[in-house]
Amino acid sequence: MSSEDFRLQHVRHEYPPGIAALCDIDLVVGCGEHVAIVGANGSGKSTLLKMLDGLLFPSSGSITAFGAPLTEEALEDPAFRRAFRSRVGFVFQEADVQLFCSDAFDELAFGPLQLGLGQEEVKCRVNEVARQLRIEQLLDRPPYTLSGGEKKRVAIASVLTMQPQVLLLDEPSNALDPRSQVWLLDVLQAWKSEGRTVVIATHDLSVAVEAADRIVVLSEEHTIAADASPDAVLAQRELLLSVNLIHEHAHRHAAFVHRHAHVHGG
Amino acid sequence: MIPAAKHDIAPAIPGRRGGGRSFARKAADSLTHAVMEVLENEEIAARPGLLQGLDPRVKLLSLLLFAVTASLVHTVAVLVGLVTLTLLLAAASRVSAWAFARKVWSSAGLLVLLLALPSATELITPGSVVVPLGPLSLTSAGLWGAATLVARVVAAAGFALLVVWTMRWTDLLRALSAMRLPGVVVATLAMAQKQIITLLRTVEQIHLARESRTLHRGTAAENRFWVTGRIAFVLRKSLKTADDVYDAMLSRGFDGSVRSITRLRMGAKDYAWSCAAAALCAAVILIDRLVAM
Amino acid sequence: MHIPDGYLGPQTYAVLDAAIIPIWVIAAKKVKKTLKTKQIPLLALGAAFSFVIMMFNVPVVGGSTGHAVGATLIAIILGPWAACISVSVALVIQALVFGDGGITAIGANCINMAVVIPFVGYYLYRLLAGDVPSATRRMISAGVASYVAIVSAAICAGFEFGIQPAIAHTASGQALYAPYPLGVAVPSMALEHMLFFGWVEAFVTMGVVAALTKSEPALLQMRPAAKPLRWLWGALGALIMLTPIGVLASGTAWGEWDSAQMKARIGYTPHGFDRLGGLWKAIMPDYSTPGMGNAAVGYLIAAVVGVIIVVALAWGVGAVLAKRREAKAVPPESVPSG
Repeated sequence: MSSEDFRLQHVRHEYPPGIAALCDIDLVVGCGEHVAIVGANGSGKSTLLKMLDGLLFPSSGSITAFGAPLTEEALEDPAFRRAFRSRVGFVFQEADVQLFCSDAFDELAFGPLQLGLGQEEVKCRVNEVARQLRIEQLLDRPPYTLSGGEKKRVAIASVLTMQPQVLLLDEPSNALDPRSQVWLLDVLQAWKSEGRTVVIATHDLSVAVEAADRIVVLSEEHTIAADASPDAVLAQRELLLSVNLIHEHAHRHAAFVHRHAHVHGG
Repeated sequence: MIPAAKHDIAPAIPGRRGGGRSFARKAADSLTHAVMEVLENEEIAARPGLLQGLDPRVKLLSLLLFAVTASLVHTVAVLVGLVTLTLLLAAASRVSAWAFARKVWSSAGLLVLLLALPSATELITPGSVVVPLGPLSLTSAGLWGAATLVARVVAAAGFALLVVWTMRWTDLLRALSAMRLPGVVVATLAMAQKQIITLLRTVEQIHLARESRTLHRGTAAENRFWVTGRIAFVLRKSLKTADDVYDAMLSRGFDGSVRSITRLRMGAKDYAWSCAAAALCAAVILIDRLVAM
Repeated sequence: MHIPDGYLGPQTYAVLDAAIIPIWVIAAKKVKKTLKTKQIPLLALGAAFSFVIMMFNVPVVGGSTGHAVGATLIAIILGPWAACISVSVALVIQALVFGDGGITAIGANCINMAVVIPFVGYYLYRLLAGDVPSATRRMISAGVASYVAIVSAAICAGFEFGIQPAIAHTASGQALYAPYPLGVAVPSMALEHMLFFGWVEAFVTMGVVAALTKSEPALLQMRPAAKPLRWLWGALGALIMLTPIGVLASGTAWGEWDSAQMKARIGYTPHGFDRLGGLWKAIMPDYSTPGMGNAAVGYLIAAVVGVIIVVALAWGVGAVLAKRREAKAVPPESVPSG
């Protein structure tokens, strides 16, 4: 079994009328790594993440997942699809998109049921994950009665019941109140110790630095501008400026002009 | 603003002074009201009342049976009896009779009264005049006819309202699923209801944003153009959301077939209620036929 | 146009509830074939959109507002079968979640708003817009189609109301359900929609089509139409074949009496009747074919002749109008962007 979870080679993607989304991406994600893909809005982070989940396929280039090619044809095979979908979980940017069942219990049960598990085992998994994420009291509530943070928990839980080995999160800290953001970082830490692979797409450098042990920077030209440890990436100020992840800010202290770069929080 | 749960009430944007609400404000209010009602219904359906305790299939079918019975009854007296039944069932289900009556009246009662009155005149229903008003005299046959219609509509609306108020939406879906409605249909209904509430909130926000940005009322024509522009926006958003939700479903292994867990079980109370309801309906129809003779 | 419970007798609502089920089944099959696994989210969002459109307040005159149904618009975007399901789902949720509209009347409401409007609206739109319409033609076709569709649905609803007194009454003749006869119900529903709601509908449909033509024209792309129109001709043919049923009806329709019948009814013939009565000598009087012995066949021939004349006229007028509009130098549609 390879220690690589994903390998992307020369991946390019264009949306139909010729709008470039990704240009010549070469990326390897190893087993158990926590990678943050950072870039300004529009740089192609979400597109890249969806490709890792087999929701989008590159216009040219190749993607392999767990050693096997990840293509539209491959996913048509029911056995491959079931194996892939249960191994890779995707948490969408907007929880609302992901909560489409009539109550939280059904939401958590959806994935396992689709995988063909029996009713008893599904109930077991649902209760277990609900206990882990402390959402037992939310289980019989319809999604429109939940707050933003609660919805995020239910969304993450609905993916966890499939017991994925890889978790892809698209802008997970968006629209989360501070307490929920802290909770999210705790969850990511727990996954780290469980050996799960995590790929986060975010435009928030502070989240990336806290959550990942490797940062991949996407430029506004949709190419990889950097791929290194958080410290190494943070040190390259010019680079970060050029990809529009930080900006320079100048203000005066009497006769003295103070320039510094900073990031706006998520 | 529409609260996510009834207990987070955010301060409302203060109304415009100068008489009457603007068009955007009125629209936003009615949208808020609609979603608030759904949240309130959830709350009523959670109370420990008579109807709430029944198996959802039994509840749905028995209330439908009552509504159908109301449509088969011909005499006013029996229909009024059925209206009384709706009030009794409401009370037994921890619903304020006053709130119930007010809702039935505003949604169905007032309208049917206005519609039925002209039919009581000589023009529509000739017969012996009871209230002489020239060509618009009210005839006895007309009045009986109007009363029958009003009583029937109020009874039917009452039973329908009991379904809406004492059934949690998730239970209703489970009932439909257990009654062998295709999984795809149930899944579509479930998703549609959820998306409706989300869309209503979005549209409410759109109207409130307009309210807070405009300084003058705008002519009817300007507002019309704005409305169609917003409807087009909502359409595009709906289609985009459909794409996103589809991706989310695929991501969790969806392959076209809908599977669900059956969690409904009938108890002794449900069987007892079913028999009682069936017997009552049969009795009501019998009495109606006897009275009519 | 939503019909609440209690206005339609069981003879009517039961028939309509039963009739809508095979239509739903067919719609589900058609939709599954075209939309495949994406059908659930697309139909659910279509239903949500349909619901919300019915809740949009459209300012009309002064401070009054009206509401549109929008089923023609949805049929134009998603096709008539998907529109049928979307609107039906919206109506069911309206009844069961929001308590708006009757539960026994769901069949009737779905037939009026989820079948008549989408199908009449869609096929009329296709007929009027042609294959590659200019932006203006598309907009106007959509407006006309939605207007006609909603008026048609209103007439159906009026018909459903209007037959109640005839179907169900007490021994003394008093109506048990909706009390107004056809002569009152149909004109009032029709007029209400021709004068008010039809315009709201047309305006909303045209406005949204115009907005989409600008921002996302790909949504309005035409579907291949060969089969459906052929089906329409088939339906028309079937209707023509059924016309001889009219020969079975005895008596004369209300208001269509000739001089002799007037005299028999009221005792004399009004002056104008005498003077103008024989002015126009019809080629095919009373829908008969002169010289044809068999009344039924004569009826049939009259029907065919009539249809040919009407279709030819409509085609001719449409062609002239289309040429005129095309000639107004509206640029051809650009490649859709975005």
